[in-house]
Amino acid sequence: MLNVPTLINLFGLGSLILIASLATLLILKIEQIKQLRNTIEKLKKSLDEMDEQAKLIIRTDMELNKLQEELDKKITGLYALQRLSQAISTSLDEEQIFNLLTTSHLEDLGFEKTLGFLWKENKFLPCINIGYLKEEVENITSLINLNKDFYRELINHKKTISSLSLQKDTILKNKLENTFAVVSFVISPILPKEGNQGILFVGTTTPDTLITEGDEELITILANQISQALENARLFEQTWRAQQSLEKKVEERTHALTQAMEDLKKISKRKTDFVSSVSHELRTPLTSIKGYASILLTGKLGSLPVEAKERIEKINRHSDELIYFINDLLDISRIESGRITLKQEVVDLKELVNKVVDLLSAQLKDKQLELKIDILEEAKNVFVDPNQIERVFINLIGNAIKFTPSGGKITIQAHKLDEMTQVDVMDTGCGIPEEAQELIFEEFYRVDNPINQELKGSGLGLTLVKGIIEAHKGKIWVKSKLGKGSIFSFTLPLVKVE
Amino acid sequence: MMINVGIGFSSQRDPRRAAGEIIQQAKAKIGERKINLAFLFGTIEFSHLGINQIVSELLGEEINIIGCSSAAVISNEGILRNGLGIMLLSLPEDIHIHTAYVKEIGIKSTLQAGEELAQNLLYQKEGMRRNLGLIFCDGLIQDEANFISGLQERLGLSFPLVGGWASDNLSFLKTFLYFKQITFNNAACGVIFGGRLNFGLGIKHGWKPLGKPRYVTRSFRNIIYEIDNLPAVQIYQDYLASHITQLKKDLRRISVLYPIGIYLPGEDEYLLRNLISIEENGALVLQGNIPQGSQIRLMIGTKESALEATKVAVEEAKKGLSNQTANFALIFTSVSRYIFLGRYAVQELEIIKKSLGKDTPLLGIYTYGEAAPLKAIGYHGKAYFHNQTITILVLRGMD
Repeated sequence: MLNVPTLINLFGLGSLILIASLATLLILKIEQIKQLRNTIEKLKKSLDEMDEQAKLIIRTDMELNKLQEELDKKITGLYALQRLSQAISTSLDEEQIFNLLTTSHLEDLGFEKTLGFLWKENKFLPCINIGYLKEEVENITSLINLNKDFYRELINHKKTISSLSLQKDTILKNKLENTFAVVSFVISPILPKEGNQGILFVGTTTPDTLITEGDEELITILANQISQALENARLFEQTWRAQQSLEKKVEERTHALTQAMEDLKKISKRKTDFVSSVSHELRTPLTSIKGYASILLTGKLGSLPVEAKERIEKINRHSDELIYFINDLLDISRIESGRITLKQEVVDLKELVNKVVDLLSAQLKDKQLELKIDILEEAKNVFVDPNQIERVFINLIGNAIKFTPSGGKITIQAHKLDEMTQVDVMDTGCGIPEEAQELIFEEFYRVDNPINQELKGSGLGLTLVKGIIEAHKGKIWVKSKLGKGSIFSFTLPLVKVE
Repeated sequence: MMINVGIGFSSQRDPRRAAGEIIQQAKAKIGERKINLAFLFGTIEFSHLGINQIVSELLGEEINIIGCSSAAVISNEGILRNGLGIMLLSLPEDIHIHTAYVKEIGIKSTLQAGEELAQNLLYQKEGMRRNLGLIFCDGLIQDEANFISGLQERLGLSFPLVGGWASDNLSFLKTFLYFKQITFNNAACGVIFGGRLNFGLGIKHGWKPLGKPRYVTRSFRNIIYEIDNLPAVQIYQDYLASHITQLKKDLRRISVLYPIGIYLPGEDEYLLRNLISIEENGALVLQGNIPQGSQIRLMIGTKESALEATKVAVEEAKKGLSNQTANFALIFTSVSRYIFLGRYAVQELEIIKKSLGKDTPLLGIYTYGEAAPLKAIGYHGKAYFHNQTITILVLRGMD
């Protein structure tokens, strides 16, 4: 048996202690290794767990990325669509509507090629091209027209088709992809309510591009926007055309009216010329008649029987009236034809009116009319032809006397109105009916009233007055009420007093 | 001495008009000075039409033009989805350049092609002091790592090399390179700058690792066959709980959102690899090489983290110029960032413009890959092929 004393004998005490220490150390190391193994196991387990977590992270990340991609695509597409819609909706020109669609819009929508066709005159005609050469467009156009029924069907059924919707119909899908030389596409009809319908194609040659339902929606919206814009453009065109035709009609009418006016002027001139020449022709024999009548009345050629003298006196008086009448006629025709020459000078209106009133004082007295003259200082200096304006006052005051019953009142006022003097001749006479107020300035017009029926008049007085006032760049108008009296107002050029 | 720069951009569809417009704008800024170099970038529809030939005719046939096609052109005025951009450089006498190209890369080994381009760039210029190499490469060639290795074999392993891989309209069908009057595919071209100039480079992506580290147990060039001894596709199947058919459907999204990140000791960020396709046997085809044995993670990013990375990148670039104003800036940003950022892509440009100053002329492209050196000391400034980064290069002539 090996016991401790035997061992001590065998190895010596020192060696035995060493062995024991080593054994202890070994046991400790084994223990440590065990612990390390445990730790490693734990770490390995954690690492495996972390790896499992990593897998979860990656799977989630992948999902999120897919969603984000789709979202990004949609946002970019919507942005492009919004920019495009804004531009398109404000355009009213068919050609411009298509030109507004640019490469950048198209790329933001996720495509790089587009073609648009409108159905005109029994065939599809290209109206937009991005991404194709001229010859390619010609080729595709003829292919489309070869299969026009298919595309007309799309329009009739208002149907958008794409690589996505045709996934099951591989033959048609491939055919369309070949026609347009793309790998993915969307085709949507352009459907304005009226006018030319068509199709909008967009496509891409980038492989692995997946058309989504979102793409289909965006392109359908775009095609609708284009349809709406085309509709607006058509309506605008229509309105514009209507307006153009209206403008043309107005122009034609204006032209006709101008022509008529010219004709009237010509006739009026001929009338004036006629009146003028007739008056001249009349005045010569009339002067002789009046001359002979005057001579007869003097009795130098022998005394006349009473009856004859009375008749001759009538001839003489009527000749005078006729001469006044002819003179008025001549004056009017001179004024109308612009042949009158005004001898304008600074005239004191007060003096002029007083002079006229003196001339007519006998008549005023006869009818016992009250006369009031109120010419303001600021309005008295006028730049006129005194002889002509005298005739104006004689006519107007004369009329006032004529139509105002005994005991009535005549007022002559003048005040400043802007750069003119306004003169009002007011009476308390019988007045002028409203319907006649516009007509009284016309030649030979006479208001139908008892006074006119009794007293003679040429119907030329107010025409002459109007002509004279207008020759002075003034205006004349009348305000009147039946039974209350009339106010004749006119303006004359005022002289500025420094 | 300052480098005089004129820039011009156009969205005109007609190539001749667009060319006329960009030249007119750029020349208005550069005046009558001699033009030494023109960077020309255009979207795919211009490239088909040999736009550089038209530009060359209008500009004068002897002028060096280099550039390539791009999904969109980045300019001071925004991102042109259909457009053309030019940057004309009038260099002071103490700055030298030399341009060259290599064609028919497909029929050579990519290493050879890289070597050939380097050799052409150095042709008769061996004695020239060289500071920076800038290359543009067909975006659809494979085995970029070897192409870069070939270049560095000749130019020097630590020689600063920055590059952009041309892109098309995201159809991955055909990309174009412009060299003087020649428009070609399956080719690369470049320029070497030498003399008294400073440059600054910032490259970042902003994606963070997620989940357990894994190891590439079998790969060849840009194809991973197995990860942790299992079919490579399983990594995506595990994390996304999707069947392989669904994964194929979501390929473009997965590629951009969750690229593979290769751990690089000492670097702030992982080296990203976008997924190009999934093979029937479960192998993953990546945009760029992935060495067997690499430690990889699945990566995740957000728009915020991507834009934060842009901020860091532009600040890093400015540091290279000791925060002096740049004479001009070139931007190579990945097509996958363009897809990922969507309508926020403009914000990336705004961040750069704000930081560099709105008057600093800048021109950029969206790339199918970027080449730039790694920063950590252990990599000795060797250029690597990157995915999904924003790479900002700023240059300035020395005072």
